Amino acid sequence: MNYFNIIYGFLFLPIVIILYNIMPKKIRPIILLIASYVFYFLISKKLIIFIILSSLSIYLATILMQKMTKEKNESMQNASKEERKIIKEKYKRKKKIILIITIIFNFAFLFYFKYLNFFKHLLQDLFKITGNLKIVKHLAPIGISFYTLQAISYVIDVYNEKIEATPNIGKVFLYLSFFPTIMEGPITRFSDVNDTIYEGNKVTYHNFCFGYQRILWGFFKKYIIADRLNIFVKLTFNNYFNYSGLTVALGIIFYTILLYMEFSGTMDVVIGSSEIFGINIPENFRQPFFSKNISEFWSRWHITLGLWFKNYIFYPVSLSKPVKKITTFVKEKLGSRISSLVMGGISLFVVWFLNGLWHGAGYTFLFFGMYHFFLIITGNILEPLIIKICDKLKINRQNPFYKGFQIFKTTILIFLGELFFRANSIKDAFLMLKRIITHFNLNTFRGEIFTLGLDIKDFLVILIALLIVLIISILKEKGINIRKEISTQNIVIRFALYYALIIGIIVFGAYGPGYAPVDPIYADF
Amino acid sequence: MKNVIKSIIFVIILFFLIEGITYFLIPHQNIKKYGVLKTSLYEILSEEENTIDSLFIGDSLIYSAVSPMEVWHNYGYTMFVEASAAQLINDSYKYLEVGIESQHPQIVFFEANVLYRNPKNKAWYFDLYSKMESSVPILKYHNNWKKVMFKFLNNNDSFKNINVYKGYKYVTKVQSAQIKDYMHVTTKAKKLPAGNEEIFQKMLKLCEKENVELVLVSTPNMRSWNYSKHLGITNLAQKYNIEFIDLNIHNPLNIDWHQETKDMGDHLNHLGAIKVSNFLGQYLQETNLLIDHRGDQKYASWDESYKIYKNNLEEIIG
Amino acid sequence: MEKLLEILKELEPDVDYDTCENLVDGRYFDSLTILTLISEIEDNFDVEIPTVEIIPENFNSAQKIWNLITKLQEED
Repeated sequence: MNYFNIIYGFLFLPIVIILYNIMPKKIRPIILLIASYVFYFLISKKLIIFIILSSLSIYLATILMQKMTKEKNESMQNASKEERKIIKEKYKRKKKIILIITIIFNFAFLFYFKYLNFFKHLLQDLFKITGNLKIVKHLAPIGISFYTLQAISYVIDVYNEKIEATPNIGKVFLYLSFFPTIMEGPITRFSDVNDTIYEGNKVTYHNFCFGYQRILWGFFKKYIIADRLNIFVKLTFNNYFNYSGLTVALGIIFYTILLYMEFSGTMDVVIGSSEIFGINIPENFRQPFFSKNISEFWSRWHITLGLWFKNYIFYPVSLSKPVKKITTFVKEKLGSRISSLVMGGISLFVVWFLNGLWHGAGYTFLFFGMYHFFLIITGNILEPLIIKICDKLKINRQNPFYKGFQIFKTTILIFLGELFFRANSIKDAFLMLKRIITHFNLNTFRGEIFTLGLDIKDFLVILIALLIVLIISILKEKGINIRKEISTQNIVIRFALYYALIIGIIVFGAYGPGYAPVDPIYADF
Repeated sequence: MKNVIKSIIFVIILFFLIEGITYFLIPHQNIKKYGVLKTSLYEILSEEENTIDSLFIGDSLIYSAVSPMEVWHNYGYTMFVEASAAQLINDSYKYLEVGIESQHPQIVFFEANVLYRNPKNKAWYFDLYSKMESSVPILKYHNNWKKVMFKFLNNNDSFKNINVYKGYKYVTKVQSAQIKDYMHVTTKAKKLPAGNEEIFQKMLKLCEKENVELVLVSTPNMRSWNYSKHLGITNLAQKYNIEFIDLNIHNPLNIDWHQETKDMGDHLNHLGAIKVSNFLGQYLQETNLLIDHRGDQKYASWDESYKIYKNNLEEIIG
Repeated sequence: MEKLLEILKELEPDVDYDTCENLVDGRYFDSLTILTLISEIEDNFDVEIPTVEIIPENFNSAQKIWNLITKLQEED
C-alpha cells in the first residue's frame, strides 16, 4: 500500500477517522498508534520488530537521560561555581555514554539493512577481492531511513536538554511510526509534533475538508503529471541510445519534474492526512524551483532532511575540536574568510557524503552528493568574485533579469544532479549527456517525440497541469495563502473547484489501460 | 447539521456529474441495447455485434497468455478474451452469457483452472476492486477523453476501436522460473470445489442451446497446475463428451520457463503468449468452422487495431 | 555591542542591522556566514557557542545575537 493507493485514501484513512472520532479523547491517540502499526504491518510484516526495537531504545535512553538531568539540576542548586562545573562534567559524561550507545544501536540496523551490501561491493571493488564476501539480499523495514533519523534527533535533543523527554511511551512509539509520515517523511523533530500528536483532538468538518483538499492536490500532481511523465522518462533513461539528443534532454528535464511532482505530491497527501487529525507536520517543500543558488535550493527542497543534516552534522562537525584546531591554524596564516571556508568545507563534505549515502547505497548517489558539495563550495568561493564582476560591469544584482538568470542557472544544475540520481550508472549518465550533443537532430526528434508512450494530447494535459502548479507556486511565493482565499469564496465556487479537481484526476489521471500494462491493484497477483 | 447537509449535496452533485461524464466516455457501440452499466462492465460489448468468431473465457492466466491480435494477423479469425483476475466460475457464466448474446461465436475456449477456484476463497481485494470498477465504470474508460475531446481532429471515427488488445494484457517483463517437474504423474484425480460442476453444466447447456462448441484448455502454468488437476479435468471432459487440451502435459508448445514467464512460472509473458495464440489459431484453422476475414472490408477496424497493437509493442520492446 | 555590529557589517555589509529581524529566516545569512560569525564571536568575546544554541531564534537580529553573547558570558 502506498499513499496514492485508493485503498489508503478512501478506505484505510476514512476507517481510521471514524474510529478515531467515535472514541473518547483519551483513547484517540491510541487509535492512531494502532492504525500506524496496522499500516506498518501490512507493508513490512515481521520486520515491524525493528521499529519497535528502535522506539523502545530511544524511549529508555531518553527517560534515563532525563532522570540524570533532574539529578544534576538538584545537586547543582546548592553547589559553588567550581563544584557546578565538576557536576556538569560528570553528568555530561554519563549521558554521553547512553547517547552513543543508542545512536550506535539505531544506526546498526540502518547500516545492516541498507549499506552492508554496498560496503561489501565497495571493498570488493577497492581491493579486488573476489568471492570472499557473501552478498545477502534482504528487504529493509519500510521507512527505516526516515524513522532512524527521527529517533536520533529525539535522543540528541534530550541529551542537549533542548527538550524534555516524555514519560509517555505511546507518544514515543507514535512519533516514530505515525502512519502518514512513516514511508517518506517529512523527518519531523519531536518538538515539531510534541504539542499535537498525542492530543486526540476531534476531527472537525473544517480539518476534514482542508485535509482532503490537500490530499486531492497531491493526487492531481501524482496521477496527472508524474505518472504520465513516468512512461517517457523510463524509456529515455533505459534506452537513451535509441533516441535523439533532444529527446534525451527532454527525458532528463522530465525526470526532475516527475520527481518533484511525485515527492511533493506525496507530501501533500501526508500533510493533508495529518491535518485531518489536527497534527501539524512541517512542510518539506517551498517552491524549490525559484531558488537562486544551490544552497538556497536545499533550503526549499526536502527541507526536513536538510535541517537534520544542518543541525546534527553540519554544526556539530564545524564546531568540533579537531575542525576548530585546523581552522584556527588556517586563520592565523590566511585570514578569517579562508578559514571559515575551510571549516565549512570540511563539514559540508561530511554532510554531502552522508546525504548521498542516505539517498541510496550506490555510486550514483555518492556522486549525486559530491556533485552538490562541489556546487555549494564553488558557489561560496566564487561569490565575492561575482559581486566584484557585477559591480565592475554595473549589473544591478537586484534586477529581475539577473534574478531570472540565477534561477535558470540553478534549475539547469539541478536537472543535471537529478540525472545522476536517476541514471542506471554514472557511465550511463555521462553517455546521455554526450548523446545530447552528438545526436542533436531536430528531424529525428520530430519523428520520434510522440512515439514514447505520450501523444500530443498527453503533452497538452501535462502542459496545462504544470501551468496550474506554476501559477499556484507563484502565488505562494508572493505570500498569498491560497487555501485561505478559497475558503472565503462562496459555496458555488468552492464546490466547483472541488469538482474540477476530482473529475480532473479521474478523467485525466494516467492510470489504467494505455498507461500501465497491468492494472495497478491487480499487479502480479 | 448544516455541514452534514452540505456534504450530502456535495456527494449527490458529484455522483450526477460523474454519471454524466461516464456516458460520454464509455463505448457507444451497443449502449442503446445493453445500457450504460452493462456496456462498461463487459468489454466485449464495445465490439460490433456478431463480429467475433471465438471467445476465450478465463482468469489472469488467459489475459496473459492469449493475444487475439496475433491470431488475427496470422490466421484471420476474430477472437476476444473475456478474462478477469482470479475469475470465479459464476462470473465465467455471466461472461459467456453476454458474449454469446452479443456475438454468437462458434467456438468458446474455457480455462480449466477456473474450475478449481473455490468461490468461498475469493480474496477481498479482488472483490472490492471488481465492485468498484463495475459501479464506477469511468475508472475503466476515463482515457477515452482523448477520443471524445479531440473528435473534431480525427476525421475517421477511431472511437470504434475501443479495445485494440481485445482483452489481452501484454507484459514483456521476464522473471525466470526454476525448472521443476510440475506435471509429475500421480493417480489421484483432484476433485472440483463444491458447486462448480453445476455451474459448468449450466454453461454447457447454454452452449448447446446456441450451437456453440465449448473447449476446455489448460494454458501453460507451472505454479497452479499439476497432474492431479489434469486427471480431474480429463475425467470431466469425458463425462460431458467435450474436448480438453492440456498445454502443460509434455510441454507441447516448448515453453521456455526461463524466458517466457513474467512472474517465475505463474503467468506467461508476451513471448509465451505468442506461442499460445499461434497454437489457438492453428487449432481454429483445423476445425474448418471459421472463415479467414483478412481483406474483408467489414473487418477493416481489426487491421487498424493490429497496427496500433504492433506500434505499442514495438515501443515497449524497443 | 559596537564590536558585534562591526563584525556583522564586515560579514554582510548590505544589511541594516538596526531594523532587520530575520537575518536567518530571511536568508541574509547562510550557514557558512553563521559559521564565520561564530568563530569571530568566539575569538572576540572569549565565549564558546555550543551547537545547541545555533538556532534561528538566536541569530535573527543583532540584538538577539548580543543577548546570546551576554548569556553565555554570564554562564561562564
